[in-house]
Amino acid sequence: MTTFWIGFAVLGGALVVIAIARFIRGLVPQSEMRDVPMTALETLGWVGLAVTGLVTAGLGVLVAVVGVTDLQEADSARFIFWLILIVGIGVWLAAWIALRRRNGGVVADERDRVVLARSLSVESMVVLLSLVTWTVVLTEAFWDDGTVPLAYLQLLFWTTLIGGAMGRSLGIVLGYRREIDTDA
Amino acid sequence: MPKARIRNQIRRLRFDHGEMTQQHLADLVGCTRQTIIVLEKERYVPSLSLAFEIARVFERNIEDVFTYVDGPERDGSP
Repeated sequence: MTTFWIGFAVLGGALVVIAIARFIRGLVPQSEMRDVPMTALETLGWVGLAVTGLVTAGLGVLVAVVGVTDLQEADSARFIFWLILIVGIGVWLAAWIALRRRNGGVVADERDRVVLARSLSVESMVVLLSLVTWTVVLTEAFWDDGTVPLAYLQLLFWTTLIGGAMGRSLGIVLGYRREIDTDA
Repeated sequence: MPKARIRNQIRRLRFDHGEMTQQHLADLVGCTRQTIIVLEKERYVPSLSLAFEIARVFERNIEDVFTYVDGPERDGSP
């Protein structure tokens, strides 16, 4: 069993390193775009990445400090949990409304629509990865107990939702840095 | 199978039309300046309707603005 977990961790770690390397390489702006302001959708993508990153970090710290069981049972921990989520969603909504007002809409033209549509594939990939990871981890961790504590299901839902939003934002940001051949 | 590529003359046509700015062209065809920039750099292949809009602004046929190029020519090799 230990070998399985070591292999799982090594494989997961390698995938994360590859993903981060590709991500950083993809974030370098194209030379012709360096002096041009971002589109509203790209700005929203960056805001989404920042918000989901901060929410993930906040929830991660909370879970690490209070533990998963207390997250469900302690009122103060549950309050902080919901506060982080609501503030995160609120900040993202405020940015979305502000960008809409300033630009008359977040999606301005056909390239925006193509980037937005293609970002769905990144979101789907992150959601699938999250579900697979949770399924494997929960099954292995609670196999002997035969039941999974309810708090984990809540975590599963929120991390998958936040991960999906992060994947969508990442897909948007990377989409503006990729060559797009709608004919291909 | 080599990838096809759409080449265009947008940059040259802009300058032929009184050094039209990218923003002005973008406003005329209803897209962002960023899209005009990536079009000129041939990093974005437009929809047929946007291609026709651009050709109309320059008062040209679409094949005068956009050219279909087969894969091998893309790299400059025969």
